Amino acid sequence: MSSTISGRSTGSGGPTFDPYDNTPELIPLRTAAQAGHWPAVRAFIAGLDSVEKVCSASSLLADIAGAENFLERAVTELPGDPLPRTLLAHRYVYIGWDIRSGARAQHVSRDQFDQFHAWLRRAEQILIEVCAEQPAYAPAWTVRLMTARGLQLGQAEARRRYDRLSAHHPHHYHAQTQLLQQICPKWGGSWDAAHGFARECATAAPDGSNAGALVALAHIEHWLDLESTERGAYMRGLPVRDDLRFAAQVSVLHPSYRPNWNSIGAHSAFAFAFSLGGHFADAAPHFAFLGDRASEFPWDYMGDPKASFLKFRKSAMEA
Amino acid sequence: MTTELHDHNGLAVLDGLISHTTTQGIPTLYAPASGNEITAGLFFRVGRADETLATAGITHLVEHLALHRLGLSDLHYNGATANAYTLFHVTGSEAEVVAHLNTVCAGLRDLPMDRLETEKEILRTEAAGRGNGPFSQLPLWRYGAQGYGLSSYNELGTWSLTPEQVRQWAQTRFTRDNAVLWITSDHMPEGLDLTLPEGRRFPAPAATSALPVTPAYIHGDDGHVVFTSVLRRSTAASVFADVLGRALFQDLRQEGGYSYSAEADCSPRDAGFATLTAYADSLPQKQDAVVGGFVDTLARLRAGRIEQSELDSVRTKLLKMYDTPDLGAASLPSYALSLLLGHRILSPEQHKAELNAVTLADLHEVAREAWDGGLLQVPGQGVDWAGFTLAPQYSTTAVTGTRHQSLEDDRVTLTIGTEGVTLTTPKGPITVRYDACAVMTTRPDGARSLTGHDGFVITVEPTLYRGVTPERTAFLDSAVPAEAVVRMPAREPDQIPQPRKQTSTAGSAGTGRSTWAWTAGLWLVGLLAAVWGLLCAVITADEAGAAAPEWDAVVGVWILEIPLALVTWKLYQARKRRRG
Repeated sequence: MSSTISGRSTGSGGPTFDPYDNTPELIPLRTAAQAGHWPAVRAFIAGLDSVEKVCSASSLLADIAGAENFLERAVTELPGDPLPRTLLAHRYVYIGWDIRSGARAQHVSRDQFDQFHAWLRRAEQILIEVCAEQPAYAPAWTVRLMTARGLQLGQAEARRRYDRLSAHHPHHYHAQTQLLQQICPKWGGSWDAAHGFARECATAAPDGSNAGALVALAHIEHWLDLESTERGAYMRGLPVRDDLRFAAQVSVLHPSYRPNWNSIGAHSAFAFAFSLGGHFADAAPHFAFLGDRASEFPWDYMGDPKASFLKFRKSAMEA
Repeated sequence: MTTELHDHNGLAVLDGLISHTTTQGIPTLYAPASGNEITAGLFFRVGRADETLATAGITHLVEHLALHRLGLSDLHYNGATANAYTLFHVTGSEAEVVAHLNTVCAGLRDLPMDRLETEKEILRTEAAGRGNGPFSQLPLWRYGAQGYGLSSYNELGTWSLTPEQVRQWAQTRFTRDNAVLWITSDHMPEGLDLTLPEGRRFPAPAATSALPVTPAYIHGDDGHVVFTSVLRRSTAASVFADVLGRALFQDLRQEGGYSYSAEADCSPRDAGFATLTAYADSLPQKQDAVVGGFVDTLARLRAGRIEQSELDSVRTKLLKMYDTPDLGAASLPSYALSLLLGHRILSPEQHKAELNAVTLADLHEVAREAWDGGLLQVPGQGVDWAGFTLAPQYSTTAVTGTRHQSLEDDRVTLTIGTEGVTLTTPKGPITVRYDACAVMTTRPDGARSLTGHDGFVITVEPTLYRGVTPERTAFLDSAVPAEAVVRMPAREPDQIPQPRKQTSTAGSAGTGRSTWAWTAGLWLVGLLAAVWGLLCAVITADEAGAAAPEWDAVVGVWILEIPLALVTWKLYQARKRRRG
């Protein structure tokens, strides 16, 4: 396990992308889920002090194989409770997405798509009910952004869901990262919409929130979509650099910023984006925060995330 | 049941508000209204739902014929043919109204049959101008091509109805026992002669179903989302419709800004049930959000998350309707319709009491009922994701009989059997059985179009299927019950469809095998033709060089070459066609 103190320990074997290593407070959740111990899972989530943390917990549970078994039992026992239903729906979405795989649509077989959609429909029908009963319940709306994307319900419908959520939770980082995926061209959106939304999130949020990282994520998505010959130039460009600098200053580098469970993801986005453009001095404070910790996303956009991280960090520390 | 309709005890609750009597055997309601003019309405319990697809339009035709003698009157009058009733409606001085009603009844007693063909033409023109609104397809998907589903269809009877059929319809359905009259007056006017034949009260037709599973959905045009359901008639059901309309307006227009119109309405279908219709429009780029918001609004009400304020504001609005002056006169049409359909009659006090007693739990129950029987029409992609099942697109059975391959698509075959007709397509069969055939339209060119009671349609075009001979067409004519046949006029030659280019099916194993066989045949015959041709050429050259050429022998060998060359050419063409 790597150091839990911010940064500095650069001499070790490299970064860990494991969310439990990076946020050890989450380990009891994993232990309870792997044991199929619903009361402990429920107590853990009940003890969380923000809806963002509930959404983080939900995402991690959704990635635990077999979690659907105890969640299905919990839903039967607590039919009126939105939490087990939302966690179960989230797990169904992950099961479906694992079948689909992360490949671009043209590489996914007909049968894979059918199964993928079937799991998403199961999830969606649970979530329709949860949101009907509890319109302010952000974890359910956040998962509904994933079902909307996978079921290809359209740009306007995804935006409607985000608007319904943000009416109650205006700067919800999990939902913002989900909607950003939707409005990129790969899911039927446009670059204007994606950059516009990222800027809108960054400027509307109070200083010192994670929302600025949306700007970095939008540029990373744009970079990924370009021909390899154009990528470097795009990220090296001064407009992108200035965009990133401004976004970092009002968000994760702002004096009022307080680290939280999304910090590793947000700093990773900036460290990654600045490094791609060769702006290593700008990347340095983000690597300093990360130390040996990193989020899988967006580092998994590189063939060898670990090597890329080390290489970029070295350049940043020398800059 | 029907005797109760005439039981004035049912009307006793209206004493002091509305008077009742009978006029030449017709139950009559009247109540005073302010103003110099009076309005009267003569209802008959007959409408489109009483017809069949083959006689569709017969009620409308009677209505038009009965009004014909009124010609160019300045009077404000009209006739309306709905699913379960027909209404003649007039406003004017007492004398004018009396004269009008007398003329309508005289017309019904003796329809001007010399006008029949002209009025048929007028109805066809009227239908062509009416167009299809966003709601037009839902009835046929819910009910099929019968009963309450017929309002989705053209009035096919305007092609085929005979004077005898129309007269018979008027004599049995437009009778004094199948009518209710209402007049906005404090007394019954003098001089009414509403003599109509004796008959019986027909209850509204029983509902049919073409939806094996609900909630169901169908695809519709861009820009419109429509939801319909069937509710038991109750005060809570009408309150619910208003709550739903307001909820949609709030969500889709005021909060979302996706729609301009968003509304809901509940109107009586028959004595026991009402049709709930909810509608929202949308811009094309917003329609997926309209569908999503619509689904979520229905889900919210179904989940019982209905605010007391929503109920209260609808209740206040409905109670306010009783504040109108001339309450008795204003409520005459709805009381008359209840009397006609056999629905219970509530006094204003009783209805107000029921309105005041409606609870959120009542609305929750109606919301669940609305969802359970729902049919949603959406633009764009389907709504399986929201728990709706696509309405049947194919039949569950197929018939056997003579097979006729499509000339447009090798994968499509028409089967004409002894029990019905099946169109086999790659995605599934479509079958119309003769004993469940709502209509078969015929054309002099041999085309036959069969519509089943379930709404499925098969068009037999002799130009589009192999081997649909006049004998097969004649067989269809003998198999379909005569009362379901509608003869249509000849089509212009360019209206008769011709096969389009074959759709390619290259790549399938079956096609590959058959092309291989054609290729082998082509080689065999082609080689023979070539060898024999060569022999012919040699013989010709030989004879030409001879001292005494035997030209008749030369011609003989060449004649034998002709069929070989012809067969080669035909095989080549056939193989090419199969390869697409």
